[in-house]
Amino acid sequence: MLASINRKLGLLIFIVAAIYLYLSFQLPNYQYAPIDADVIPKGLGILLLVLSVFLFFSRAVETDAEKAKRDIPKKELGVIAAVFAMIFVYILLFETIGFIITTSLFIFLCSWFLGYRAWKANILVSLLFPIVMYAIFVFALGIVLPRGILPF
Amino acid sequence: MDAFQGLLTGFQVALSLEGIMFVLIGVIVGTLIGMMPGLGPISAIAIMIPITYGMDPAPALVMMAGVYYGAVFGGSTSSILLNAPGISGTVATAFDGYPMAQQGKAGKALAIAAISSFIGGTVSVVLLMLLAPALSSVAISFGPPAYFALMFMGLTAISSLSEGSTIKAMIAAVAGFMVVTIGIDPQTGTQRFTFGNVNLFDGFDFLIIALGLFAVAEVCMLILNRKNRSLSDDQKLGSLKLSKADLKEMSGPVSRQSFVGFLLGVLPGAGATIASFISYIFEKRIAKNPEEFGKGSIKGLAAPESSNNAATSGAFVPLLSLGIPGSGTTAVMLGAFLVLGVQPGPLLMTDRPEIFWGIIASMYLGNVFLLILNLPLIPYLAKILSIPRPLLISLVIMFSLIGVYSISFNVFDLYMLLVFGALGFAMRIFSFPAPPFILAFILGGMMEQAFRQSMTISNGSLSIFVDSPLPLSLLLVALVSLLVPAFLKWRSNRLAYKQG
Repeated sequence: MLASINRKLGLLIFIVAAIYLYLSFQLPNYQYAPIDADVIPKGLGILLLVLSVFLFFSRAVETDAEKAKRDIPKKELGVIAAVFAMIFVYILLFETIGFIITTSLFIFLCSWFLGYRAWKANILVSLLFPIVMYAIFVFALGIVLPRGILPF
Repeated sequence: MDAFQGLLTGFQVALSLEGIMFVLIGVIVGTLIGMMPGLGPISAIAIMIPITYGMDPAPALVMMAGVYYGAVFGGSTSSILLNAPGISGTVATAFDGYPMAQQGKAGKALAIAAISSFIGGTVSVVLLMLLAPALSSVAISFGPPAYFALMFMGLTAISSLSEGSTIKAMIAAVAGFMVVTIGIDPQTGTQRFTFGNVNLFDGFDFLIIALGLFAVAEVCMLILNRKNRSLSDDQKLGSLKLSKADLKEMSGPVSRQSFVGFLLGVLPGAGATIASFISYIFEKRIAKNPEEFGKGSIKGLAAPESSNNAATSGAFVPLLSLGIPGSGTTAVMLGAFLVLGVQPGPLLMTDRPEIFWGIIASMYLGNVFLLILNLPLIPYLAKILSIPRPLLISLVIMFSLIGVYSISFNVFDLYMLLVFGALGFAMRIFSFPAPPFILAFILGGMMEQAFRQSMTISNGSLSIFVDSPLPLSLLLVALVSLLVPAFLKWRSNRLAYKQG
């Protein structure tokens, strides 16, 4: 049982390495290079394959600290997944609706979701931060952020 | 140009109005980000990179260097006040710093940390100034085989010195190297692993990897720990004053560990974290009363603090003179150089003396700023630790997204940031170290190029790596650095296994 997590990880990495190696062998040849583009990838693929086997058979006992890191309540993983989903929606809407509006909404909702209940301060930060960042990037640094539906 | 003249050039850069301003911005931002528990110097540098677009390289890099050593300086504050190290380089600081703070002597602990950091930082800038030019002039004659061997040694060193399993660290390094093979091969024009996706033709920008693997993954860890204490308003810092006896007690560890830290910083793979631990153990071994360590010993606080800052400047030696980073953090620094179109390496000192010497000179200035900033202003700076975690999390996510978007203006890269964030989080949960990944990602392209150049020179024979003494000895060192710790671990595991 002790080694089971390393076995699972070893197996997963073995599969990744195998796919990578398979793709490396599909790379086209280029006649004039003494060392073609496929040499390093093939070497890396084989190396990862070997390492995954080592990991699979490694007798290393998982330390308590390592186990504690892995032991995350399902609910907390759900929270992280929800934050990732929020970021995903943010990216989806970012160019159409524009930087300032989406960023304001994101900061307010994400902070609220994570348990920040001081809503006045929250509103203040989620309005000021995007506006200040927008001003710095667009006017001072000359980096254009999407304007979206706002006129400026 | 001799060192003295060079240093004058450097001070012209550092002491110009622009120079002073950017050193100051760099160290303040570095200190603030370094203080935040969980956010390390890699995130600090990566978050600041977009700000440097369009800036002159010299002031921009002076600022980035300031962010780096400022973050190491600032990391000690949260170690001492919260027992929650801002960065891994200040974990050892908490061993004696936090007990001191609990005894109501937080102010004293912060002052000791600030002074030790200042001395460690300054001593090692002097050593950097002496060593980097010398190494540059030697390295100028290195051919591709030597470079390949050096980078290879850097990767094996960081893998074997990483915390935890060496196999996992090597897997992380190989994975980082694999990610860099995605894209069009610059030498033959072959598309590798792009699946015809136009967005992948140029490969991944290193900022996506750095921000994903570090900033976003660190945010995930912050989400898990969001209910941990932040600084409460009623926490008393106490006086910042140090007595003569305190200073005398510090002097021994600080003067020794500044050198130890510098040396460990120069060596590939080590860096601030390992330096601080070794210095702590070193001082504990030679102390007359080792039982005081861990209970608020002045020596136990001064040792890691001088050492980690010394290691930070030490890490600039291989970066500036060889162009090869030895740690995850300096790998991201190298990325910052490349973004600005500056290639560090043996030619930097002669081709761009204002950058080479500007950075070194600015470090003297930066360390003075940090001391001035930290001693009187620490109670106010520490207020940033009372930022509510949920708000901090949202803001760091925003900084990462804006950072990536501003390099490519491509939404695809933002999705990739999310993917690498998830990967970085998974790596943390399953104890795969991230620094070997980012170092391999940064070195991978250079290593492949050096390898293929060597093989072209030798007409395809691998013997070029063992025919001349330098590459051969470097590769041997690499092999030993990998095998010895692996063997020791294997033996201790076997013993543990036998004993049940």
